[in-house]
Amino acid sequence: MNFGFDGTQRSLGDTVARLLQSVPALTAPDLDPRQSDRVYEMLAECGLFALLVPESCGGTGLSLVDTALAVESLGGGLAPPAVIATLAATDAIVRHGHEGQRRELLPKIASGELRVAIALLEPGCGYDPHTMKSTIANGRLTGRKLLVPGAAEADLLLIVTGSGGKPTLALLDARSGGVATQVQESLDPTADFHEVVLKNVAVRPESLLGGASPERAVERLMDVSATLHAGMLMGIAAQMLHKTVEYAKIRVQFGQAIGAFQAIKHRCADMAVAVEAGQSAAYYAFWAIAEDSSDSPRAAAMAKSYCGEVARMVCNEAIQVHGGMGFTWELGLHRYLRRAKVLEHAFGEGAWHNERIVAATLAALIPETNRQWEVA
Amino acid sequence: MDFSYSPAETEFRTALRSWLADALPTGWGETVFEPKDEDERARFRLDWERKLHAGGWSGINWPRAYGGRGATLVERAIFAEEMARARAPEGLNIIVGHNLVGTTLLRHGTEAQKQRFLPKIISSEEVWCQGFSEPNAGSDLASVRTRAERRGDKFIVNGQKIWTSFAQYADWCIALVRTDPEVRKHAGLSFLLINMKTPGITIRPLRQISGESEFNEMFFDDVQVPAENIVGEVNGGWAIAMTTLAFERGPEDALGRQMRFKQELDELLTTLASLKRDGGHVIDDPIIRQKLAKSITEVEIMRLNALRSISRYLNGEDRGPDVSLMKLFWSHAAQRLYDTALEALGPLAPLWGSAATAGGRFQLSWLQSKAFTIYSGSSEIQRNIIGERMLGLPR
Ligand SMILES: Cc1cc2nc3c(=O)[nH]c(=O)nc-3n(C[C@H](O)[C@H](O)[C@H](O)COP(=O)(O)OP(=O)(O)OC[C@H]3O[C@@H](n4cnc5c(N)ncnc54)[C@H](O)[C@@H]3O)c2cc1C
Repeated sequence: MNFGFDGTQRSLGDTVARLLQSVPALTAPDLDPRQSDRVYEMLAECGLFALLVPESCGGTGLSLVDTALAVESLGGGLAPPAVIATLAATDAIVRHGHEGQRRELLPKIASGELRVAIALLEPGCGYDPHTMKSTIANGRLTGRKLLVPGAAEADLLLIVTGSGGKPTLALLDARSGGVATQVQESLDPTADFHEVVLKNVAVRPESLLGGASPERAVERLMDVSATLHAGMLMGIAAQMLHKTVEYAKIRVQFGQAIGAFQAIKHRCADMAVAVEAGQSAAYYAFWAIAEDSSDSPRAAAMAKSYCGEVARMVCNEAIQVHGGMGFTWELGLHRYLRRAKVLEHAFGEGAWHNERIVAATLAALIPETNRQWEVA
Repeated sequence: MDFSYSPAETEFRTALRSWLADALPTGWGETVFEPKDEDERARFRLDWERKLHAGGWSGINWPRAYGGRGATLVERAIFAEEMARARAPEGLNIIVGHNLVGTTLLRHGTEAQKQRFLPKIISSEEVWCQGFSEPNAGSDLASVRTRAERRGDKFIVNGQKIWTSFAQYADWCIALVRTDPEVRKHAGLSFLLINMKTPGITIRPLRQISGESEFNEMFFDDVQVPAENIVGEVNGGWAIAMTTLAFERGPEDALGRQMRFKQELDELLTTLASLKRDGGHVIDDPIIRQKLAKSITEVEIMRLNALRSISRYLNGEDRGPDVSLMKLFWSHAAQRLYDTALEALGPLAPLWGSAATAGGRFQLSWLQSKAFTIYSGSSEIQRNIIGERMLGLPR
């Protein structure tokens, strides 16, 4: 048992953080979705997309837990969420893709040649993959997907949809006939959200993931994405804590640094506690899903719900401690605030995951009672 | 990062699990519970600790030379998990005797002190209490006034301590006393080991929020303490006391508490699953479920926080302000847990004792939880420590 990261894992985190820092536009105040165009290529060049690809398919063959700190750096550096989508999709293909998909797609994902966008949300639906309105019928997919990061630049679309009343995953060429993408206005334009309209898009059986158990592939994608988002959220929270503490040391009022006032110092301490706790939840989820531990769905749900709450609290406090400066456009704290909010609402917000946490806990604690509920 | 366990660790777990299955009274946690009477309960807990010792499960991560098991910190964590799983009783001597006195003596005691005291802590033959706080020295602990004057081969101790938990059961006391009133307040303190049977010590119970009397006032009236019962140097007591506090807030303590909270949380969930209200089960109320989810998560994070700190120590870091992060987290999270428990019990939550749901255990715990953010350094003191020593904010 060792709940710490090794040198390689830490240096991966540092490398990604430094790389993103070299692109000031990423954290600049203005909300230009194109400011980060080069970032995807830079991350590909440094090997990020090869990490989760097995060595037999031209990758580094690392596990999700090895990427935890790198993902945190992606969050803190405000890397576009499309980056995370490709990582989650990589895991989906590695775990649930068939031989052809693995052989053909993984090497190109590893090199950065192929980008994948993940389409989950639909109008009038929640997060539950069982309740999607889009469906595949007679080999044709029809539906509308919302808030899909990076859809316009993506080469592949990984679509959570239904088939025969069951959730399933379709991996399609983004340029297939019947696919139309359009930018969506959002709280965070730099997240590059799109609406994707799917009209009678042809889906061949070999474009599906998960083989005989597509539901497992969908569940895994949800858990992995939730965990990756939790990691990103912790990156933001840690950045906000750092910026706030540094500001509290230099901003002078009433003849002293505001950080000497307990009202400020204690807020900072509470932020630090929240960051520590959120990281504990996130890191554990990374380990649990990497190892397929039996509690991994619950660990992912805990991480997503809790880290969302932590990031929200820390961003709010950060702005408060910065006073009027915190409310300005120019200081750019709003970038972290906006990004944290859109990540909080992706792949299940708190309330949705909380329900999953309770259900999983009860199922383990009192299995008989739980079965009785299901019947009722 | 690796949460899997080595074969040796798994063997440790299996051995402990099967020992616990035999050692716990039949029907434990279902039909058999701890005694309600406070003194009987204290005796029951002490008996349990002695049973643990007889089975070789006490002081498990202490050196064998002093009667410990020489187990690793990881095994110490497994121990906490398994005790939680079995819903094992609490101990009486664990918080002060094991976690505070034992650890402090291991770091700062003389060889003679270690030989004399550690085995009897491990066997719980001797129960300890902590005489730090005074009426005018709480958060500002360095202001203690209880005086110890050197006379020949003895210290003569006069003064008053307050909030001393378990003093009524204790055989020994660790006391922070003033040996030099002339110098800066931190520089005139010493750390003494005082036999509670010494003439001149008076104990008066203090009644707590819960109606119980776990803590006491202690009066010292010309109490003679052999000079060899000092830990560290004369006037070097502050540093020793800081070690004690670092362990009081450390992951071993947090894990022990986490296991208690986990048991209570499981008990709460089980209770709510059978509790009916308005024609349904309370556990199905979506608003209650939201709050339960938060507590389930926070109780899990208490464990993870402690494991992270343990891993830091295993990876060569020393104890630092991480213990304040941990204590601040568990204390407030536990208070939220009990607030949620009473909320979930609904209209009949005000009932007390045997008339109450689950025998009133959640009401009692709710009252007891109010102390968590006060003792071992109040939340405000922890925030000062984190702000100044970890984040580097100005004083
Ligand atoms: C159940 C229980 C058991 C205990 N057992 C023991 C024991 O066995 N042995 C022992 O020695 N002691 C024990 N204590 C005492 C405990 O350590 C003290 O109560 C604690 O340190 C606070 O001191 P105080 O009570 O004097 O409160 P005070 O120090 O008077 O604090 C009152 C309030 O002021 C705040 N405050 C104080 N200083 C500051 C500051 N600098 N900045 C901001 N806020 C501040 C505090 O946070 C608190 O909210 C126990 C206490 C409890 C409740």
